[in-house]
Amino acid sequence: MKPAQLTRGAIGVLGALVLWQLVSSAHLAGDAFPSPVATLSALAADASGASFWSAVGETVGVALLGLLGSAAAGILAGIVIGSSPAVRYATLALLEFLKPIPPIVILPLLVLILGPTARMSWLLVFIGCLLPIITQTIAGVHDTDPVARDTARSYGMGRTEILFRVVLPSAMPFIGTAMRVAAPVALIVTVVAGLLGGGPGLGQGLYLAQSSGNYPSLYGQVLVLGILGLIFIGLARAGERRLLHWHPSYREAAV
Amino acid sequence: MTNEAVAGKAAPSRLDVRSLAKSYGAGAKAKVIIEDLTFTVETGEVVCIVGPSGVGKTTLLKCLAGLQPASSGTAAIDGRVIDGPPPEMALVFQDYNRSLMPWLTVRKNLMLPLRHLRLPAAETRERCNDALAAVGLEHAEHQYPWQLSGGMQQRVAIARALAYRPEILVMDEPFASVDAQTRFDLEDLCLKIRKDFNMTVLVVTHDIDEAVYLSDRVVVLGSKPARVLTTIDVDLPSPRDQITTRSLPEFAALRTDVLSLIKRPA
Repeated sequence: MKPAQLTRGAIGVLGALVLWQLVSSAHLAGDAFPSPVATLSALAADASGASFWSAVGETVGVALLGLLGSAAAGILAGIVIGSSPAVRYATLALLEFLKPIPPIVILPLLVLILGPTARMSWLLVFIGCLLPIITQTIAGVHDTDPVARDTARSYGMGRTEILFRVVLPSAMPFIGTAMRVAAPVALIVTVVAGLLGGGPGLGQGLYLAQSSGNYPSLYGQVLVLGILGLIFIGLARAGERRLLHWHPSYREAAV
Repeated sequence: MTNEAVAGKAAPSRLDVRSLAKSYGAGAKAKVIIEDLTFTVETGEVVCIVGPSGVGKTTLLKCLAGLQPASSGTAAIDGRVIDGPPPEMALVFQDYNRSLMPWLTVRKNLMLPLRHLRLPAAETRERCNDALAAVGLEHAEHQYPWQLSGGMQQRVAIARALAYRPEILVMDEPFASVDAQTRFDLEDLCLKIRKDFNMTVLVVTHDIDEAVYLSDRVVVLGSKPARVLTTIDVDLPSPRDQITTRSLPEFAALRTDVLSLIKRPA
């Protein structure tokens, strides 16, 4: 990022803080909307305790492991489905039907079976991120250039070799997009699993802060989640850029 | 010549295409792309298949390369019927930017088809070095194809074919997507490769001048569906040169022959 862009970004953040301060001092929402100063000092107090950091750790851990699991399973399933037109058509309607359904709908079921545990949260993240990764992988496999495939075949490369050396790299831009979209989703779903399902981590912390009326602490944790979200997206972008430096959308950066 | 004559007497042709036909679909709706193609290519020859665009030249090459089965008839290498990609053949496609893998550097693109041959590392390296030297791209080995010009990319594709050490090099409209000057360079590169590597070369093109310039023999195709109109021997002196060869009266005569065949309504 250029210095001018950084300056503008900083001005934007500063402006938002000032606006926050103004709105909160107008007491529009009573005590339910604390000032940034109160929020940050509550956050500082929280951050001095070990339980806060273990909650952050649990949230990040569950989100990352869920994301990793759904990536592994989703890419594998996407390749299997995408490699065969018959299977692709057979699953098309089902996948399209499942796509708009938010993962939260199975939260009660998961809580019933697994209880308010990290495994429940993990499974919810896994399910929440799985579908877009599957559909994007299928699209990527399907999008592999027939000329590239023919080239590989004409040189006597076998099916498995073509899959790993031609089809999978061709599908990477699609998978990369899916991962970039799924990374913040994983975080959101982890928080929701804690907030509504009682899973460990910051979601549970939000619930406790809300029910005890500790609004500065609540907003402090929301701030932390926002920053975690930025880090997740940033890392996903950086990973994508590194992996896809050859792709037209990243080429300028690579040359 | 009959089947028995070929089987009984002389050694089989390097590449022998016999009554090859290809149609898509079946019954009354069947679309016949190629109808009864017969021609041969002998060892060390450069043969150009020339015909109007959309005649089914690419379909023909796909059948020859074993990428799709013919509907009837056969294509054979040294008498062996082609039923899958033949190991002694390498294919160069028109669309270098679709045929080269953009995520691999030039050298890694060259190495891609060699992996399954399980060669010693030193031989892989040597083959790549030789192939890059043959097309004059030693300096570009660590670049990505998309960082190179169109002509250079097609040279990478040709180098990849050379590193595979094929006996038969098959090219589908190889120089159609580059500018005229580059085209001349690549044509000369093609003739140099044939001489240096003692390869049999089959080129499909719609460019009549190019066909005459490159070939020992031109197979002229007629369209809808594709069939061989005639085969013309090209007796132009060798080595050929873009300026002198193209200004020979024989060149003009051959060019006119081919053109009048193609232009004539079928």
